[in-house]
Amino acid sequence: MSITDSRRTHHTVTAIVVSHDGARWLGETLDGLLRQTRPVDRVVAADNGSRDGGADLLTRTLGSDAVLALPRSTGFGEAVAEVLKRLEPGGGNEWIWLLHDDCAPDARALEHLLRAADADPKAGVLGPKLRDWMDRRLLLEVGVTVDRTGRRDTGLEAREFDQGQYDGVRDVLSVSTAGMLIRRDVWDEVGGLDPFLRIFRDDLDLCWRVRNAGHRVQNVTRAVAWHAEAASRRRRRITVSGAHPRRLERRNALFVVLANLPTGPLLRALLRNLAGSVVRAVILLLAKQPANALDEVVAFGSVLAHPWRLLRARRARAAGRKQRYNAVKRLLTPPGAGYRRLVDRVQTYLSGGPVESAGRHHAVVRAPEDGEELLTDDAGATRRIVGDPGVLLFAALLAVTLVAERGLLGGARLGGGALVPVTGGAADLWRLYTEGYHPAGLGSDAWAPPYVAVLAALSSVLLGKTWLAVSVLLLGCVPLAGLSAYAATRGIVSGRWTRVWLASSYALLPVATGAVAAGRLGTAVVFVLLPVYAALATTLLSGEGRRARRAAWALGLLLAVGTAFAPVVYPLTLLLGALAALAFPRRGVGVSVAIAFGVPAVLLLPWLVQLVADPGRFLLEAGLHRPELVDPALPAESLLLLSPGGPGTPPLWVTAGLIAACLAALLMRRNRMVIAIGWGVALFGVLVAVLAGRITVTSPGGDTAAPAWPGVPLAFAALGMLVVAALTAGRVTEFRAAGGLRRLAALLVVAVAFSTPLLAAGMWIVRGTPGPISGNARDAVPALVAANSGGGERTLLLRSRGGALTFTVLRGRMPLIGESDIPSPDGPRELVGVAAAGLVSGRGGDDARVLAAHGVRFVVVASPVGPEVSRALDSQPALARMSLSRELGVWRLTQPVGMPPVPPGDPWHARWLWVQALLVCVVAVLAAPGSRDEDGPVQDRPETERELAAR
Amino acid sequence: MKSLIENRFGLLVLVLVALLALYGTAAATRPDRPGERTAGAAAQPRRVPISSVTAVCPAPADSRVGVVTPPDGGGGPGTATITAEGTGTGDGEGDAGDAGDAGDKVLDTLTAPGRLWQKEVPAGSGPVTVAATGSSAAGLEAAQTRRETSGGQRGLAGVRCVEPTASTWLVGPGPAAADVRLYLSNPDPARAVVEVLVYSGEGPVAGDTGSTIILKPGESRTVDLKELAPSPRVMAVEVRTAAGRVTAAARAIMNGGRGVDWLPAAAAPATRVVVPGVPGGGGKRELLVASPAEVDTLVEVKALTPDGTYALKGRELVDVPAGSVVSVDLSGGIGGQPAALVLTSDTPIVAGLAATGTGRKPDVAFTAGAAPIDLGSVVADNRTDGKRGSRLLLAAPEAEGKVSVQVLPRSGDAPEAFELGVAASRVKEVKLPEMDGSFAVVVLPLPGSGPVYGARVMDERIKDGLALTVQPLAAARTWALVPPITESVAAVLP
Repeated sequence: MSITDSRRTHHTVTAIVVSHDGARWLGETLDGLLRQTRPVDRVVAADNGSRDGGADLLTRTLGSDAVLALPRSTGFGEAVAEVLKRLEPGGGNEWIWLLHDDCAPDARALEHLLRAADADPKAGVLGPKLRDWMDRRLLLEVGVTVDRTGRRDTGLEAREFDQGQYDGVRDVLSVSTAGMLIRRDVWDEVGGLDPFLRIFRDDLDLCWRVRNAGHRVQNVTRAVAWHAEAASRRRRRITVSGAHPRRLERRNALFVVLANLPTGPLLRALLRNLAGSVVRAVILLLAKQPANALDEVVAFGSVLAHPWRLLRARRARAAGRKQRYNAVKRLLTPPGAGYRRLVDRVQTYLSGGPVESAGRHHAVVRAPEDGEELLTDDAGATRRIVGDPGVLLFAALLAVTLVAERGLLGGARLGGGALVPVTGGAADLWRLYTEGYHPAGLGSDAWAPPYVAVLAALSSVLLGKTWLAVSVLLLGCVPLAGLSAYAATRGIVSGRWTRVWLASSYALLPVATGAVAAGRLGTAVVFVLLPVYAALATTLLSGEGRRARRAAWALGLLLAVGTAFAPVVYPLTLLLGALAALAFPRRGVGVSVAIAFGVPAVLLLPWLVQLVADPGRFLLEAGLHRPELVDPALPAESLLLLSPGGPGTPPLWVTAGLIAACLAALLMRRNRMVIAIGWGVALFGVLVAVLAGRITVTSPGGDTAAPAWPGVPLAFAALGMLVVAALTAGRVTEFRAAGGLRRLAALLVVAVAFSTPLLAAGMWIVRGTPGPISGNARDAVPALVAANSGGGERTLLLRSRGGALTFTVLRGRMPLIGESDIPSPDGPRELVGVAAAGLVSGRGGDDARVLAAHGVRFVVVASPVGPEVSRALDSQPALARMSLSRELGVWRLTQPVGMPPVPPGDPWHARWLWVQALLVCVVAVLAAPGSRDEDGPVQDRPETERELAAR
Repeated sequence: MKSLIENRFGLLVLVLVALLALYGTAAATRPDRPGERTAGAAAQPRRVPISSVTAVCPAPADSRVGVVTPPDGGGGPGTATITAEGTGTGDGEGDAGDAGDAGDKVLDTLTAPGRLWQKEVPAGSGPVTVAATGSSAAGLEAAQTRRETSGGQRGLAGVRCVEPTASTWLVGPGPAAADVRLYLSNPDPARAVVEVLVYSGEGPVAGDTGSTIILKPGESRTVDLKELAPSPRVMAVEVRTAAGRVTAAARAIMNGGRGVDWLPAAAAPATRVVVPGVPGGGGKRELLVASPAEVDTLVEVKALTPDGTYALKGRELVDVPAGSVVSVDLSGGIGGQPAALVLTSDTPIVAGLAATGTGRKPDVAFTAGAAPIDLGSVVADNRTDGKRGSRLLLAAPEAEGKVSVQVLPRSGDAPEAFELGVAASRVKEVKLPEMDGSFAVVVLPLPGSGPVYGARVMDERIKDGLALTVQPLAAARTWALVPPITESVAAVLP
């Protein structure tokens, strides 16, 4: 201390160069060192067992006396300590200048550093401004700080150029050891670098201790050094420790922070780090960096697992820690920064960007691609979003939908057509999906259809409201399909307004309005997903390795969802996928296609087996199969004009403009191959639609035999045509520019093309949604019955429709949305059916006894209640009437009702569900956009620039 | 292939050809719409034999009870048990159900269908319940007939033994004109809560305390309608249950010894009612039309006779005030011909008819609106010998009817069934053949026949006047139409 008070003290500078396999940079480093305008007084080098001739270079340059050969495993701190041990103190105010072998100082660096030291006698440590070795204008460091979670913070933007914006001499928390000028007495006072921190954060620890000892740490920007960051950029191996560098880095960071914070902030930091580590580990897991997640947890664990080590370190740092904390606190990154960084990271993750693990100051932002404007979130987001054609399209479609569906919104219960009135909540759906035996109806041990799980998950997200989930998917399928078609084609079709045309034409196809009117939830979901399939398939076939693989996983997952809702998607895409795998003989495409089609097969396994056993069901979809919802004799022209028939479809001529535009695209000379493929897909879709519309399919319960509704294959065909037309839309602009007749033709084509979405929207608005679907579906179970069915008694519901009688067995409530797809077992269904018919016929006999044996307590006749039926039921001695009107008749069995026993569940059911959940998680993680992997093996941006010896 | 794609028009032609091929395929495979529909609705209602019937003869004391099951009611075993309720109370208060079990007496158990069982039930017996299952149930028919040649109940009085139902309509004279008693029985294992609603010429009779009756399982009760509504001269009664089922029958003994008979159950209120079985010959014919609706209605009355439709002079239109009964005298209108009446109205109506025999001491008979005998009909108790005659009055108000008539004697071989036709809008009177003793008759419509309504008229010339009774043909309990039924969750949707 006595030396520091004289301003005019003579300085002596000892430069210490530590080298380890750094011959590539060493020459320039030594060059810079020896050409200082203020020459160093002594130069000593330590060579940690270099194998690339670094030692020879040092010896040649500095002479053999000045080079200390050390074993390969020596750490940086140890090497410096070793050198200083053998170096008698120099005269006057002695300084030590630490240099890495990959850190070349500017010729005037030392001069500026010493000048700053003169200016502030309290300065104990001084560091130069570090710039990049390769790109010499790039800033690396102007001092480093840390937050309470140990996260390093340079205060710089990524790839920030040095324009003098940080210039000046500034107090900082720490400077790097590369180019660090430290007073020897200060070094001795604080004990030098902590040998426990062999690599990473030893500089931080040292500077913190220097600060606690009452000295200043300053960054002098006029002094410049170029640093290659060879260790952290993996340009040489770091093998100082067996542990993973990241784990080591996290451990040391935590250790340094916990060792240097006073007790109060320490406890808070401990809690924050505990929570932070868990959150970070989860995020890293989601980002498909399980090794890093493990590192995170292990690092924290290893700090906590050695409390004595930490306590020892804290004791050693006790002096001045509390007194100086106020000064240190100002230099730490404020606590809010960590939270902001987390939010940033989640946002980036959600928007599909790279997950960067070093915070915003190290993020390398990818240049946004065309169309990504929807997803990126930054400063001008609001303005860009409002002005984006995709958002405008979504808003317009939403408005059209709201007006057209005016009769459906705000009702008590959505239902009708193929959709069973929506009752229950997410918990009911989860129970339905997970239970091994379904007591609803006549009881069944069949597997619940997998789409129940999808709906249950969505309902859970929407606060358990199943009706909301169904409404969003079914009623909102038009705007959602528009949005998905717009966003999904960004990589395929250029030109935003072309994509607007494509998306609006697609979203307003007759398939969509028909699906809404008939309550076809399955088609609605697949309709939204189809453009996404197309986009993912394009990535799968043309993207580079990892992206293609990720797209394959995502396609597999979404195909599983789509198949669960409308199984026809699977064979339809499987055939095209197989063709694509043959036509694109690129490496990896075969595997990707196998992944994309293997995932749905595995995820839907037990249910898919049932489907394969009854292949006709591939043409059906979620919900009821009812003959009145399909046109049994669909005209051929209807199929070619993409109208699947049934309720809610507009007149055929609405889509004529679309077909004409797509045919016109065939005349264009460009993209011939793509056009041929697109039309091939379209023709294939129409062919499947013809088949589906002509094949009579029997529903799983065997109650209905009617042709399937060809909505999905027609949507498929339409998408193919639309892409073809959109790809050639560029020619329209050229024609328009050409003027004359061509300009007229271009305007005509645009008018014809846009006629389809405009006409479809207009027709839909004018007609509304008449459908069988209704916003106020009635509860078929009278309150009287529901109140008396507490013990699980069943209700036989009879309804005569068109001369035929239908019945179903309910269990005190309306069926849930998936229960309608679980067929009743044949035996009980047959028995109860015969008994129900017998009751209605009034033949007497023991029909009531059969019902009682199946747990049926109530017989409900739904509107219209025919006089014959009510008379017949009245004439049954075993039935007692509870109420009768023209709308509803309720009878009660007079004899005691026996509840059939519940069979024991299959233990494999639950096990498979767990496996399924696990598989979904794994596939989701594999499909999710993960860490930036374009840079090769570098997973983290440099945390510490430190080269170090190794074995 | 590549050159074809590269050619500007080649691809267009290719696609157009493919589209044309698809169009052709789709058009060729398009099914005919009607064909598809009939395939969908192929399932027709199935006829199955009824397997269980319970019928109650309300007051068979001193009467002849006939029970028959037609022979072709399906194979298999089956029994019909005929049980008389003990300690019958001819006119007293209803007997309690608990006593009923003790006094029940099984009169007979029938196992062979196709033969008429008949027995004179001694005085003092309670209601007789016929419970049949299996093959004995299909078409089971029972009737009771009482014949008195003198005294207060002089005349023929017959009634079909009915099944318990939730609603029964009876139309006939009121307590001001006759001694009318209602016979209620509850043969079911469940309690029956019975309401009796009376409509008179002046409108509905406000129900006072006694109009709700609770019948325990197996209990029977007799109600004097005078206690419910003492004043009406004509009336319509609806016996309906709020819970359970009950059999209801009413016997009217006309004041002043002007005959006795049971009121047959009338068809439930409908806008079109056919009253078959208006007997020919002299005597009074009084049509009773009741409207339970809440608005006045105009009823058009048309008579069918063997000669065709007969215009009722001045009585084509009858104004029926809301909730009341109107009596129309048709004695002169039909001119002594056997007839059936077709009544149409805007609101549902119920109709019945009272016919009086000729002579110094006339007898009375009642008929009522009936259902067509689409599935056949059986009349259990008929007699034709000497002074007694039985005949069928068949009416075909719409299309020509064709029926076969089969006679089932009490013993001996059954004669061949004979077929006969009824011209459209005509009534045909069929005299039943002379048989030794009682016999049953089965009337079956033949395929292609229009709806046929009918009644059986039985009369006997006894001293001082003609005794007669009429029984409208009721649909046989032979077959039930089991509708095609499918299980479908879509039943929860309208």
